Amino acid sequence: MKYVKVSSFSILICFCFCINFSYANSIAFDKEQLASVKTQNMGKQWLMLLWSVDCPPCFKELAIIQKLQNQYDDLAVVIINTDADDEINEEREDIIEKFKLGGFTNFHFADGKGDQNRFIIDPNWYGELPRSYFIENNGKFHGKSGLVNQSILVEWLTP
Amino acid sequence: MFTLIYRTSLFIVLFSTLLTVNKSVAAEHNHKTMAAKIEQTEKCEGIEITCAKTVTLSFAPNGDLWRLWAQNTSMYFQISSDNGVNYSEGKRVDIDQEKISARNENRPKIAFDKYKGVYLSWASPKEKKYTADVRFSYSSDYGKAFSKPITVNNDNLLTGHSFNEMLVTDEGDISIVWLDSRLAYQLRLQGKKTNGSALYIGKANYRKGEIRFTNEQLANNTCVCCRIAMDYNKQGDLAILWRHIYGDNIREFALLTLVQGENVQQAPYQISYDHWKINGCPHQGGAISINENNRYHMVWFNQGDAGKGIFYASSNDQGKSLTKPISVGVQSAQAAHPHMNTNGNNIDIVWTQFTGTEHQLWHQRSKNNGKSFSDAALLATASEGSDRPFIIKKDNISYVSWQRPKQGHLVQAL
Repeated sequence: MKYVKVSSFSILICFCFCINFSYANSIAFDKEQLASVKTQNMGKQWLMLLWSVDCPPCFKELAIIQKLQNQYDDLAVVIINTDADDEINEEREDIIEKFKLGGFTNFHFADGKGDQNRFIIDPNWYGELPRSYFIENNGKFHGKSGLVNQSILVEWLTP
Repeated sequence: MFTLIYRTSLFIVLFSTLLTVNKSVAAEHNHKTMAAKIEQTEKCEGIEITCAKTVTLSFAPNGDLWRLWAQNTSMYFQISSDNGVNYSEGKRVDIDQEKISARNENRPKIAFDKYKGVYLSWASPKEKKYTADVRFSYSSDYGKAFSKPITVNNDNLLTGHSFNEMLVTDEGDISIVWLDSRLAYQLRLQGKKTNGSALYIGKANYRKGEIRFTNEQLANNTCVCCRIAMDYNKQGDLAILWRHIYGDNIREFALLTLVQGENVQQAPYQISYDHWKINGCPHQGGAISINENNRYHMVWFNQGDAGKGIFYASSNDQGKSLTKPISVGVQSAQAAHPHMNTNGNNIDIVWTQFTGTEHQLWHQRSKNNGKSFSDAALLATASEGSDRPFIIKKDNISYVSWQRPKQGHLVQAL
């Protein structure tokens, strides 16, 4: 009986750990995922923020989002990592964790699919970062490259 | 006692599970995509060129073609005696393992002297984010053994030093340039705001026993994430092209020639006037090649109000004045990442384009020193990703190098 309890206890601990571990992961981005988030956010203003581990200014914008989520509820933000490199998977997750952004929808470009995914989002975007898309409630996208001021983000996300 | 622990744990686990499920449900409510697959792409196993994200190519003075790549905290090289058709077995650079930056604009560099010396330089990320050292190793016996790596930057600070470029003369004079954050680091400690990095140069000559690199700042307020380009002019002076920050985050290219024997460094010339204002990372450096007539030829990429896309221009006075920039490639087809080389009056430019599903390598040649160019020609395609293309030269023949991860490394005479 004791053996059964010890075994079931171990299994439950592992189960619990695995559930939480998988939750922390971001999702591989593709056109279906984009269509899905567009549909879900239709009717409201939302923000799509694209970043890379090789982009120091991106971290400033992630930090702003982190700050805003402590001040406002239900921010409509979708975060996408553009590195498209399996070697940085752990680093990417560490950064999401560091900025406590796991509560947002987090996507990443799959290994080797950087250009494809960039093209899906915007064929006129050349990969410069950070890249922010301000999406109107009718689904219209407005892209901006470079760090965005906090006041602009607040104005957009808390209309 | 165990029963008590077991029951308590069971409660915690069940509560935690319920909480997690609730979180998942909430997340799914917000974005149903949470239920989607967490795609793991196939890992590239084994040490082989197709696994490399970047490849660096260079001809040795004896005509051998070396290609160098980084994988799993090591560097590897292969040698080809037939201009890239066949290669020797891959060989690991026999130094201690360390992290090596090899992605997009960052990659290891390789150069040679005429005495069978092989020179390697790379950036090695440190434990803190955005910190790295520029590293260096030397082989005096054509790659049989390499020296214990040393750090080129001499500030001993845990800050950014990367985007290294290296040139070595026949006599073994080494010049390494890189982007350096030591000044920004110090200013931040003083509570001051900074913008960008600084351009540094380090010089040494192992053959002469000068094994410690000098460190000299050449410019401040450079872009922090674009590769540098450099070439020797006819006088043997180094010309360096980089992306600079002008005014309020206007990212334009700047050019500096380091005239030997002059104590006072001349001011850099601004090369591009495309007015790309971005407080961010363009991730696109330029290229420079100086031909036998001492004309500086340059290509760059910008997305400014006044100029978008790839541009080519040349200068016969070291950048003081410039020909009118010529647009290269199809802007609407994602033309980007240009590189170039000169070969007498021939100017070769390569760049990549993207169709939405296919990466393309394009080439354009001028036979009259850049006055006019032939129609652009499609050279090759890739399906699984695309590295930056580069042009190198041997015996008056230019070759393009294009790494296509998971597909293969292309070397082709132009």
